[in-house]
Amino acid sequence: MSSGTQADRPVTSQGHYAGSVSRFLAYAVDITASSGVFALALAGISYVVSVVTGNHVSWNKGNIAVAIIFVGWEFVYFAYSWAASGKTFGMAVLGVRVVRADGTAVGPRHAVLRTLAFPLSFLLLGLGFAGILVQREHRALHDLIAGTAVVYAWDARAARLRFLAREAEPTASRAQLAGDERS
Amino acid sequence: MDPLDRLRDAGRRVTDPFEALAQHVAERVLDLVVSALDMNALLDRVDVNALVGRVDVNGLLNRVDVPALLDRADVNELLDRVDVDALLGRVDVNDLVRRVDVDALVEQTDVGAVIARSSGGAASEALDAVRSQVVGLDQFIDRWVQRAVRRKHPAPPGPPALVAGGPVQ
Repeated sequence: MSSGTQADRPVTSQGHYAGSVSRFLAYAVDITASSGVFALALAGISYVVSVVTGNHVSWNKGNIAVAIIFVGWEFVYFAYSWAASGKTFGMAVLGVRVVRADGTAVGPRHAVLRTLAFPLSFLLLGLGFAGILVQREHRALHDLIAGTAVVYAWDARAARLRFLAREAEPTASRAQLAGDERS
Repeated sequence: MDPLDRLRDAGRRVTDPFEALAQHVAERVLDLVVSALDMNALLDRVDVNALVGRVDVNGLLNRVDVPALLDRADVNELLDRVDVDALLGRVDVNDLVRRVDVDALVEQTDVGAVIARSSGGAASEALDAVRSQVVGLDQFIDRWVQRAVRRKHPAPPGPPALVAGGPVQ
């Protein structure tokens, strides 16, 4: 860890609108995680079917049933995560969360609406995501439709304290050792 | 009997009633004057600051025997009279906490070691570092975008419920 950067950085971002890099990386983590879980589930089902029936099952990418199940899974993954805690796995890793436009917690209605509106932001070459960069409140098209926003939920102050504590601990240990040697 | 004593007796008999009368008249006049006075108006005319400015408070305090004063004071009774809730209600705890140099506290005391042991770990350390870098990138990009769009009014930092001092839920 680069001690200089973290120690000197302002630590008051909690509750502020999250920026584009955090949100993009959170989405990348989510897509990777959800697709991985889906692929594992398909592999598991294939294995069980092959054990039970003796027939090998192969999942074709062009299979419409698989595509529909995948879309359904993604819907459940995002909608349930946002409704339950305001954040998906990727968002939790990056320290951001979804809230209503006024900053209060999102409910199931907003979570479902946001999930349904999310694909719309991909239309027109992803123009809906431009709002994250240029909109005053960093809200994408699906945020504006669902009345939501994404904020930093990461407690940077606590992180700074952890950082300082880690820095302080070896110093304290050395001082204690020196004291023991003297005595 | 001394002729002078007689003279003094006679004089006393004459002057005593006059003295009593004069005192009675003076008290009566004083009552009338005081009742006629508007004390508030009178006090309004008094420049209390100037008055206090003329008082040598240090000299006054030097004369006070503080240990003797404290010996006479029943501190417990005094504290019983204090409404602690009302007192605490007037204290701005947030302002008080803001004045505490938490960084110095963590660095110089065992609190740091306690925090490190309770919340440490390689994963936590790595996550802090990644998030810190990402927030830095976010801010860097945001600054450039703000310059590019030449926004006249600064954008709000966050939703009202979160940046007005409320905790993130």
